[in-house]
Amino acid sequence: MLRIDLASRVPVYEQIANGLRAELVSGRFSPGEKLPTVRTLAINLGVHHNTVAEAYRQLANEGWLELKRHHGAIVRERDQPEAGPDTMERFTRPLRELVAKGLADGLSPSSLAREMIETARGLEERTAP
Amino acid sequence: MINNVPVNIRTMVAVTIGGIAILNAAILWFMPRLTRPDLYFAVTVLPGFRDRPDGKVILGRYRMELILFSVLAFIVFVAGTVLIGIGFAPAGPMIQIVAGFIAFYRARNRVLPHAAQPTMIREAELRQDKRTIPGGWIAAAGPFVLVALCAGYLWIHGSTPVHELIVYVLGMTANLTGLTVLRYGLGHWVRPVYSGGPERTREHQFRRTVAAIVLGAEYYMVIQSSWLLLVPRHHGLISLGLLPLVLVLVLVVILVLARLGQGGSRLAAGEKSSTASAVAVGDRTPDRYWKLGVFYFNPDDSAIVVEKRFGLGYSLNFARPTTWGIVALLLIAPLVSILAHVTGFLVKRGA
Repeated sequence: MLRIDLASRVPVYEQIANGLRAELVSGRFSPGEKLPTVRTLAINLGVHHNTVAEAYRQLANEGWLELKRHHGAIVRERDQPEAGPDTMERFTRPLRELVAKGLADGLSPSSLAREMIETARGLEERTAP
Repeated sequence: MINNVPVNIRTMVAVTIGGIAILNAAILWFMPRLTRPDLYFAVTVLPGFRDRPDGKVILGRYRMELILFSVLAFIVFVAGTVLIGIGFAPAGPMIQIVAGFIAFYRARNRVLPHAAQPTMIREAELRQDKRTIPGGWIAAAGPFVLVALCAGYLWIHGSTPVHELIVYVLGMTANLTGLTVLRYGLGHWVRPVYSGGPERTREHQFRRTVAAIVLGAEYYMVIQSSWLLLVPRHHGLISLGLLPLVLVLVLVVILVLARLGQGGSRLAAGEKSSTASAVAVGDRTPDRYWKLGVFYFNPDDSAIVVEKRFGLGYSLNFARPTTWGIVALLLIAPLVSILAHVTGFLVKRGA
């Protein structure tokens, strides 16, 4: 299930790309499988089709999807990229902000840590060959 | 006398128009109760609103105004028929619809202050259901084949003037294409209101029923018009005789749809389900994009076919170019027919 929030400050196309990426990382879609067409997903979400097309293009640039005219988006076999020196920094910065927001909203450090470990383990188990 | 057959035309016209008027009145009376529980006079409300005192008062006033406006419309209709003649009769149902719309519009304005805040959350199932056109492509091709057969037969026998044949083929093909595109749209261009569960199954059933009705209408249209061309002797009599039949068919369709409720909302919950939970995600057509509560115009929505807000069935998103293509196809038949009649009339006058 893909979920977006139109009231969020994050652009809609980015929310769609993030949601789809999460589904792809979790291994819910195997290589060769088709995602809904741009038009179908746009209709189901009630957004303009250019918004969905932009999200699909972003995922195609990242190597997750292959876009074929009249055939929709097909999930690609994607090689695990080598993590660069700034990869961790790009990951930890938004994570720090998110954790800070969680703490500010009253969550305890231990519950946040537990949630993060469980999420990472869950994804690792699902993507394990 | 029509074609040497005695018929009380006035009685037939009066019965048909009276039937249409009663049907209109019944639809307008019951419609507010047949829409989805979260829609009231085309406004998004909390599901229980219609049963609250506020909701009941609005419905009461709407029905009161409906009676009042209908009586006024009836007076205009009677006066017009007396002064102008039976030719004014078809205007009766039109006047009634306008009167009903005024009552609806006033009720809508009373509901608007109670509108629920639309949800900003949107959800979509990524694994798609297999969507097929009810009856498949063979059933869809049937009406086109019938038109071709009828036109071919008339062409070979040469019993029908060529211009009439062209009007028939052109008009019917355009109309059938428009309706087929619409049926395809019901399968592919309508978004589900529920993401899963029995509600989703009911929605599919409703959509398939509407598509089947459209297909039935296509077959009826072709058979009737082909029959009138093939058996031209009692053309006028058959045309008039078919009016009550059409009325009965429309009544049956309305009863079937009313039993299902908008989007199948009145159906008993089924057991079949694609997913375990049913999440209501709304029709995602914000109130502000419904012009007069009836016409949907949202350029940011890719959907072409959307559920009606007031009524049973579907409407079109008039901000999409495809919609205008469908409308044009549906209008070609009457336009070509009118044009042919006017041209024929002018040619006769010139001669």
